[in-house]
Amino acid sequence: MSWLGGVRARLTASLVAVVALTAIVLGVSASVVVDLRLHDQMLEAAAEQARFDLSVVVPERQLPDRPTPEDIARSGLADTFRRGAVETFVDLGDDARFQSDERLAGLLTLLPADMQARVDRGELAYGWLDVGGEPALVVGGRPAGGGPAFYFVRDVAGVNAAIDQLRLALAVGALVMVVFALVISRRVARSILAPVEEAGRVAERIERGDLSARVPVTSRDEFGTWAERFNRMTGVLADTIRRLEAAQHQNRRFVADVSHELRTPLAALVAEASIVGDHLDELPTESRRAAELLVADVGRMRSLVEELMELSRFDASAEEVAVEPVDVVRLVQAVIASRQPTARFDPPAPSVVVDTDPRRLERILANFLDNAREHAGATDVTVELDVSGGDLVLAVSDRGPGVPEDRLQRIFERFTKLDPSRSGGSSGLGLAIAAEHAALLGGYLQAMNREGGGLRLELVVPAVTRSLHDGDGPVTQAFESGTPTTTTRESAP
Amino acid sequence: MDARILLVEDDPSIREVTAIGLRNTGFTVETASDGREGLDRFEREPFDLVLLDVMLPRMDGLEVCRVIRRTSTIPVVMLTARADTLDVVVGLEAGADDYVRKPFEVPELVARVRAALRRVGRGPDDEAAQLRLGPLLIDIAGRTVTRDGQDIPLTRTEFDLLVDLARHAGQVLARDTLLDRIWGYDYLGDSRLVDVAVGRLRAKVEIDPAAPELILTVRGAGYKASR
Repeated sequence: MSWLGGVRARLTASLVAVVALTAIVLGVSASVVVDLRLHDQMLEAAAEQARFDLSVVVPERQLPDRPTPEDIARSGLADTFRRGAVETFVDLGDDARFQSDERLAGLLTLLPADMQARVDRGELAYGWLDVGGEPALVVGGRPAGGGPAFYFVRDVAGVNAAIDQLRLALAVGALVMVVFALVISRRVARSILAPVEEAGRVAERIERGDLSARVPVTSRDEFGTWAERFNRMTGVLADTIRRLEAAQHQNRRFVADVSHELRTPLAALVAEASIVGDHLDELPTESRRAAELLVADVGRMRSLVEELMELSRFDASAEEVAVEPVDVVRLVQAVIASRQPTARFDPPAPSVVVDTDPRRLERILANFLDNAREHAGATDVTVELDVSGGDLVLAVSDRGPGVPEDRLQRIFERFTKLDPSRSGGSSGLGLAIAAEHAALLGGYLQAMNREGGGLRLELVVPAVTRSLHDGDGPVTQAFESGTPTTTTRESAP
Repeated sequence: MDARILLVEDDPSIREVTAIGLRNTGFTVETASDGREGLDRFEREPFDLVLLDVMLPRMDGLEVCRVIRRTSTIPVVMLTARADTLDVVVGLEAGADDYVRKPFEVPELVARVRAALRRVGRGPDDEAAQLRLGPLLIDIAGRTVTRDGQDIPLTRTEFDLLVDLARHAGQVLARDTLLDRIWGYDYLGDSRLVDVAVGRLRAKVEIDPAAPELILTVRGAGYKASR
């Protein structure tokens, strides 16, 4: 699912980025344009007004040639201009000046030099200045026909505040758009990806073996086409799998039936052969050897049929694991005693108790030992037990001819006979059966050639050590398919 | 050894060769080919041991065993086709003392039959004639068990198991040990024999078999009788 999240995140991020970028570009350019336009307009209006005032209003008052501040105050010019929201500052020369408002007192020092120069030359000049802590537009000029320098000061704080408000509104608008884009894009992404997620769930069901699962075809778009193709493919695969399963089932059924049917005559043969075998000496020489062979062949037939039946039971999944605490050392010693008393075994501890299925462990070890006897004779067979590494490792090593490296893994397959001439009484199923038992215990088998010649077969079963309760050796818990098994037996109070 | 054995087996070859094998060893063998016939013969004539195939026509071996157990503690050895848990446990729970897996070799069967008969022939020991285990009074000579004067009927196997555990009260007896002493297996016997027999014994002697107080399980080791 993480890749779906990834696609959704990427989709959302791209859409939000596009929207945010658009909003920022639009907002910034809008505010810049409005700002410039407003200031230009204000400046134009102020210049127009100043030109009018200097050419018409000021000359009308007929000021003296060298007016004093008192002359200016008496003329009422400041009041006239104030009605147009303009404060007036007049530079009368020789440090004499008039100001209509106290805050304009230091205006001259604020004026840029080039502005004053232009005013002195009789031109109209302007500047955006900070007067008395307020942003202001100052337009300066001299009346037509000469006179003192007039400076008209307009407060532009209101305009600036309006522009700031506009900027704020644009920013908020951009933010809203981004949030909106976020919501919309998540929704769109979800609706685009919903069929993909649904298809993912269907694939999971198919993976778990539900071959009837199909992707719903809800649209006529590319995804709908894809879903149809996917469903067609699944249908074909399901058919094939069913056919193969049926064939395999029939096959296994046949093997199970055959071995089942063979069992009763085999049971008679085994009992009969055991009696003949007890009386071989009494048979006439002409038939004795034949009787000997008969007894041996009945034994071969018996193991073959029994092993086939055992495998059929695995194939039918009829095998159940019965876990109980088992002293593996004692079990190994007992199997060695019955199967191959000459095998060497050096227990790692007097007793190693593991929760496992003793019958399966016995079977695996017995098959290992049979294999060693068959291929290496009874000589020099060693059994090793190791539980130190968290796993239970049970190994049987021989000094036989070993197995060519490229065929090592195949020895756990059914009917693998490496040397048909030496097969003896073996059915070729013993190690395959051992592998099935190992799998049921949650473990596996491995085979390796030994240094100096010979084969080593290993059973590895997961197991963890747990605390002692009887104090009679290391106690280990075997795990079955990765989960700890619990025995249902009651324990002593 | 002239014990009389009733062999109930439907396959004629197996029936005949088994009878031959047992007769060669000195047993007297009577045969029956289905469950009903077997039960009829058992009720008409005296036998020392019954060999019962599980799969029988007319009445299966398990049912025959259950009927026999209603009236008799005679040793019953089942011949099972499969050694899987279900067959074995069901057979033992029907009251069988032991089982032999098909296919078997005749000497193997003879050994099991002898072990079962040996237990019957076991006379009173020179040890205590009576044992106590909690509220149970075990009369070894009379082969009876009573609780509060009430007789508890046990099969021979169950009785022997109880006596062995009671004699070693407080001591843990491994399954292998019990298999050897009660069933006569040297090694690699089927420990389910012990588990099922203990289960049956508990069902009879414990007040609450699910929470046993007399015969306790020692995980990873075996069983012990409480002291």
